[in-house]
Amino acid sequence: MASGVALRESVKEMKRLKNEPLLMLAIIAIILFVGFFVVYPVIRVITFPSGQDYMQLFQKARWFTALKNSLFMTLISTVSCTAVAFLFAYVIARLDVPCKGLFRFVTLLPIVSPPFIVALSYILLFGVQGIVTKQLLGLHVDIYGRLGLWIVQTVTFFPYAYSVIYGVIRSISTNLEYAAYNMGAPRWRVFKDVFWPLCRPGVAGGALVAAINVLTDFGNPQMIGGDLALLPTEAYMQISGWYDMKTASVLAVALLVPAVVLFLVKNFWVGKRSYVTITGKEISLNPFPVPKWVKWGLFSLTMLISLFILLVYGTLFYGAFTKTWGYDWSLTMKNIQYVFLKGKQIWNSIRYGFLASLGASFLAMVLAYIVQKKQVGINRLLDFLGILPGAIPGMFLGIGFVMAFNAPPLELTGTSVIMVLALLFWNIPTCYSSATAGLQQIGASVEDAALNLGANSFRSFKDVIIPLLKAPFMSSFVLSFLRSVTCLSVVIFLYAPSTTVGTISVMVLVQSGQYGEAAAFTIVLITIAFTVLKLAQWVLGKQGIELEL
Amino acid sequence: MRPYIEFKNVVKQFGNFTALDHVSLEIPKGAFVTLLGPSGCGKTTLMRQLAGFSEPESGDVLVDGKRMNGLPPFKRNTPLVFQEYALFPHMTVYENISYGLKLNKTPKEEMDRRVQEMLKMFNLVGLEKRFPKEMSGGQQQRVAFARALVMGQEILLLDEPLSNLDAKLRVDVRTELRQIQQKLGITTIYVTHDQDEALSMSDIIAVMRSGHIEQIGSPWEIYFRPANRFVADFVGTVNFLTARIVSAEGGTVAADHNGMLLQIPTEVPVEPGETVTLVVRPECIRLAEPGESVPEGKSLEGQIENYSFLGRIIRYWVRVGEEQFIIDDANVDLSGARSGAVQLCLDTRKLHILKDGGSHDT
Repeated sequence: MASGVALRESVKEMKRLKNEPLLMLAIIAIILFVGFFVVYPVIRVITFPSGQDYMQLFQKARWFTALKNSLFMTLISTVSCTAVAFLFAYVIARLDVPCKGLFRFVTLLPIVSPPFIVALSYILLFGVQGIVTKQLLGLHVDIYGRLGLWIVQTVTFFPYAYSVIYGVIRSISTNLEYAAYNMGAPRWRVFKDVFWPLCRPGVAGGALVAAINVLTDFGNPQMIGGDLALLPTEAYMQISGWYDMKTASVLAVALLVPAVVLFLVKNFWVGKRSYVTITGKEISLNPFPVPKWVKWGLFSLTMLISLFILLVYGTLFYGAFTKTWGYDWSLTMKNIQYVFLKGKQIWNSIRYGFLASLGASFLAMVLAYIVQKKQVGINRLLDFLGILPGAIPGMFLGIGFVMAFNAPPLELTGTSVIMVLALLFWNIPTCYSSATAGLQQIGASVEDAALNLGANSFRSFKDVIIPLLKAPFMSSFVLSFLRSVTCLSVVIFLYAPSTTVGTISVMVLVQSGQYGEAAAFTIVLITIAFTVLKLAQWVLGKQGIELEL
Repeated sequence: MRPYIEFKNVVKQFGNFTALDHVSLEIPKGAFVTLLGPSGCGKTTLMRQLAGFSEPESGDVLVDGKRMNGLPPFKRNTPLVFQEYALFPHMTVYENISYGLKLNKTPKEEMDRRVQEMLKMFNLVGLEKRFPKEMSGGQQQRVAFARALVMGQEILLLDEPLSNLDAKLRVDVRTELRQIQQKLGITTIYVTHDQDEALSMSDIIAVMRSGHIEQIGSPWEIYFRPANRFVADFVGTVNFLTARIVSAEGGTVAADHNGMLLQIPTEVPVEPGETVTLVVRPECIRLAEPGESVPEGKSLEGQIENYSFLGRIIRYWVRVGEEQFIIDDANVDLSGARSGAVQLCLDTRKLHILKDGGSHDT
């Protein structure tokens, strides 16, 4: 009966839309866009193979192994990512130690970098021509495979888990810990009985974010996986090597299923179990001091990992200015010059990233505004449309675009348009959650106040809502731009010679052993990403707004 | 005289929940009317029907005889001060106050003049260029008042505007607010759950509960002549005494409470033999001085159980047989509170009789 009433309310709200044609138009447009550019490609991929084709996943040993490997790598990398992330979050949020700025910087680096950067650097350090293995130790070890990938994925993806866990730890009031001390609990009991139970949902959330990233990671396995068969790389091989769309689709669906499960658990299970509400209220008391040996033990461990990450980036930087890695260590500018020769690809990265981010931020903003501030009867459906693309692995979306838009009505294969559109819809969930967070900061009655003073809907939107949306728009734009410029998995299936972007060049260069050029390309991409980030922080900072990633 | 603002049988539903159930209220021009009630009683919802933020399912909202239903909020000229102020965070104080004038295209000089007038009235001179987040809560609140009043409308709506201020400031502001309202003669609807605010500022109070108006009346009527137990209990502290009517003649009734015979002047029609509830405010009971001779049948013997010193009064909890009385003694002695056995004297003129045990709650 309750649902009957809810339905009647919804219908009533939908009927009211007749009076607001612009709003109705926006809603219809969003549903059509997401339907056509997200749901339709997904359906194409899922329905392309027959039932028989799907059976091959379990019959062909190589593919079944790929499935098992993918799940296994996800499991171990998630565990290590979460552990490192918790370490960093705890040290930064709760311990009185020096070098916190460095630790924070280290957690930011991998987020503004292309996803394969750690793999590339790992090759430069420990590979056949590696500076550590060949030059320092004179060893010849095979770094490709499970162990290498595990280390690389841990370093690459722990920052994603870190940002979730840190947010939760920071919002746990130290007063709660003091309350436990006050009642006579020793330090360890306070951690076990109070602190840890409150962190647990955050840790679970962070672990799931890491798991989704590891599972769908394409760049690192492609470069360092070696013979290790994984779902994303196998699917890529089927398309680039054999043009076997059927098999690629089967493998992609095998990847989609666990990705969707992780996504659903993250959004609907963990979200409900969080005890902590983020109020923005400052924590008044200093954290209770932990024993010295614990404090400095944790500090050393964090420092060690940080130095390793700095080494990774330092190596890359060095590699960008080295003549021939492994043979001729003299410095040169030729790699950087090479990047400028290939300036078109960098320009493509910037161009596509800019357009896709503009589109994604705009679409997400409108969607978030409608979901948050308007009662239109289908708010929950619209909210779902905003987060839905987040469940789809980048490479799945790439394959979907190949299959959906290679023939009329929309033949886009090989064009710039398909690159932009794919990046745009891939970025919708990121922009959407950023826009939603921004909108929730705007008090519910500010818009009412404008109406009350005599502004009609249009004026109140123009005078009040738009100026207040500037900050969330900027942050979602920047985030989306960083993701686009460093994205490989989505575009690898869609590029043509004239639409190649920076990340693809790096992958090709690594595969042909041109490490110096690859490093130089990567350095340029990171520089662009960082410049945009700093620029946005500066522009917003002048208006007293903090840009949060 | 025709009421200036009129709610006629207003019904508002949210899904299965009835927020307003056939509510009617008439407000004369220039009056300060308070909608008083616990949270969820419908007081804010009723006010929002007038501001136009939501539309009633049925019933009419009239201003000066004109039906407002269906008119969008921006055409209603009903400036509202929001509980959390709802100042535009990206606009300065000046821009916030002048926003409404800008919308109706007031000429620049005129706008300046009126904003300056408001800045003076609300002690905001010199703060024009500040942004809301650069000001204290009290200052923000004054900006919110200025923004609503600068329009010079006939109506002012206030939605718990004082609830975010600290206690002392709240008392100052309510006096100031009442003075400004009387000076401008502006018809005001004030929503609050605070009985002190309601009693101290209003011409008329409407006490609401669960989507109904329980009683409409002056602060005196609401306090001393509550319509039922709910109103009596919600507005102030109260002792309820069960009594039996012994006789009723010529506007005075004699009521028996545990053997004490009380002569109560009243207009409430009661019959001898009827059981009623007496509403007795804590300050309507006096502690007899030690040694004072109290007439037989006019007083009760009690034992002081507890007290709380509040400065201007002492509140006593006194046990009489099975019952406990709350008594406010304004005659505070320098040496401390009293204790032990006391005699209670009731000021029968201020007693109020509720028929049917005060249970008719509609």
